[in-house]
Amino acid sequence: MTRVFALTRAQWQTMRSYRIQLLMSIAGILAGVVPLFFVARALQPVMAGAIRAEGGSAFGFLAVGLASLMFVTSAVNSLPAVVSDQIRSGMFEAVLATPTSLLELLLGFNAFDLVLATVRATVLLGAAAALGATILPGRILPALLIVLLIVLAHLPIGVLGAAMILAFRTAGPLPRAVALMSGLLGGVYYPTSVIPSWLQAVSSVLPLSHGLRALRKVLLQGASLSAIAPDLLALVGTAAVLAVVGATAASFALRHARAQGTLTQY
Amino acid sequence: MNAGGSSEETLVEVDGLFKRFVVRRRLTDAVRRPLERSYVDVLRGVSLQVRRGEFFGLLGPNGAGKTTLFKILSTVVLPDAGTVIVAGENVVSAPGRVRRVLTPVVADERSLYWRLTGSENLQLFAALYGLRSSDAIRRTAELLNVVDLAQAGDRMVATYSSGMKQRLLIARALLSRPAVLLLDEPTRSLDPVGARDFRRFLREDVVARQGCTVLLATHDADEALELCDRLAVLDRGQIVATGTAGELADQAGARRYRAVVATADRERARAALASHGWSSWPSAAAPEGAGDAWTAIEGEASGSPAESAEVVRRLVAAGVGVAEFARVAPSLAELVERLIERGRQPRHERGRVA
Repeated sequence: MTRVFALTRAQWQTMRSYRIQLLMSIAGILAGVVPLFFVARALQPVMAGAIRAEGGSAFGFLAVGLASLMFVTSAVNSLPAVVSDQIRSGMFEAVLATPTSLLELLLGFNAFDLVLATVRATVLLGAAAALGATILPGRILPALLIVLLIVLAHLPIGVLGAAMILAFRTAGPLPRAVALMSGLLGGVYYPTSVIPSWLQAVSSVLPLSHGLRALRKVLLQGASLSAIAPDLLALVGTAAVLAVVGATAASFALRHARAQGTLTQY
Repeated sequence: MNAGGSSEETLVEVDGLFKRFVVRRRLTDAVRRPLERSYVDVLRGVSLQVRRGEFFGLLGPNGAGKTTLFKILSTVVLPDAGTVIVAGENVVSAPGRVRRVLTPVVADERSLYWRLTGSENLQLFAALYGLRSSDAIRRTAELLNVVDLAQAGDRMVATYSSGMKQRLLIARALLSRPAVLLLDEPTRSLDPVGARDFRRFLREDVVARQGCTVLLATHDADEALELCDRLAVLDRGQIVATGTAGELADQAGARRYRAVVATADRERARAALASHGWSSWPSAAAPEGAGDAWTAIEGEASGSPAESAEVVRRLVAAGVGVAEFARVAPSLAELVERLIERGRQPRHERGRVA
């Protein structure tokens, strides 16, 4: 964990040195909440019936959806991007020369972006609460557990993308496809119940669909964990299966790149 | 140049190392013949041993295989065949343990976090090497002093000169007190003064004070001569010679002489030498204070002093006036060139006098 923390701290120190960029990224979220509030208010009469089981408020529904999407995009996209950058800069070779394991390396490269996603999501939900969204403070702990499961279910997709970068210098279409499909069919902007039935089959295999449904029920309606057990089980199962696939792919990619001599080339 | 390492214990042992890479083809070729592969053999049976405390140089032209050999040593590339043992650990089966004792100096300045200070960069890597926080702080301060960056430790690396970044990269590699340090053309981006200071730092601090065993890959023969106890000449993936500079001279068969002969006898002298298979040519340096009456020629007499004596005897027998005769040591660059040329000759032609 010390190594993961050290890599995370280095990325924080780098970002801290770009002060304006850091401030603007936070300000951008705050600025985005206001139009979201008005759009949600306009959509409330249309959406009310469909989202009754997930809090009933369009503003809260959208705020939680967008906050969750921040975690998903961070989990699937940031690792391939960071690994690609680190190989290009030569930092990957330097870090590989230390006794750091591949797991520590991947976690260390990804952790900062996840922390950043947490900060952004917190700012978004805080601002939404300030503007009247009904977010239950007493349900934050179970909500954090669900967010953790959402992240764990999506991280292996990022690991697969990073493995592709190691082996073939491209993340391939999977991370982008998962991020896009999660955004469109995972229930971020509208409930999955309004999606055409043939697309609901796709939606039901997306981890975010289960995660979001569970998160909204807990955070906006105060549901207990037992009430959302099926969705939690789906998340756990997905995370477990994909973790094995991701770890195998990363290990294979590392060996392939070492054999080909391309590990440190871009 | 020292005669040898401080200890006879072998720390790095490379035996029969082979590595080939697939050659990238044009897209049209790949489409036309998708199953065809062509390869380039980068290392072809490389074997060498480096003793503890030794400063070992790897000389060779670009593309000789030096960097690939270093990448295999640093566990970044897997060999196709052969074994590499570092401090008793195999680079293929125990890469993690090898990385605890061997550190490559990644000479790429971009491999530093430029928006972090020098001190922050070192503390990051101290953590990656597994140093405890208090040790990391102490070691960072110590190494910043060693590489003469103590005053610049709190400055962002982006503000450093190339020489400062190079020294920081060395400090980073020394954090874990490695037993073996790999340096791949470390003075490539330094100006002559910076390179000289850096070489002094390597010799006096890294090897003498820190007790590191150093493998240096370079194509700068003078740098290798100044720093290394022993050298290996690598060309087209094969070791063509190994030893001290003197041993390399013996292996190259390059024993040069310089003779000052009467100018009137110069052509006769060259003809006499040529008739016995010895090469000779006019020397670039004229004999001092001899005027036009005497002229210098140079040539090569491979082998023992007896052969030099034979050269003198032949010249005198041919009636050539010989005022001076001396054996001259060729430069290391010439030796390396000669060894590479000899290595490229078909085996049955080697050993003939050039």
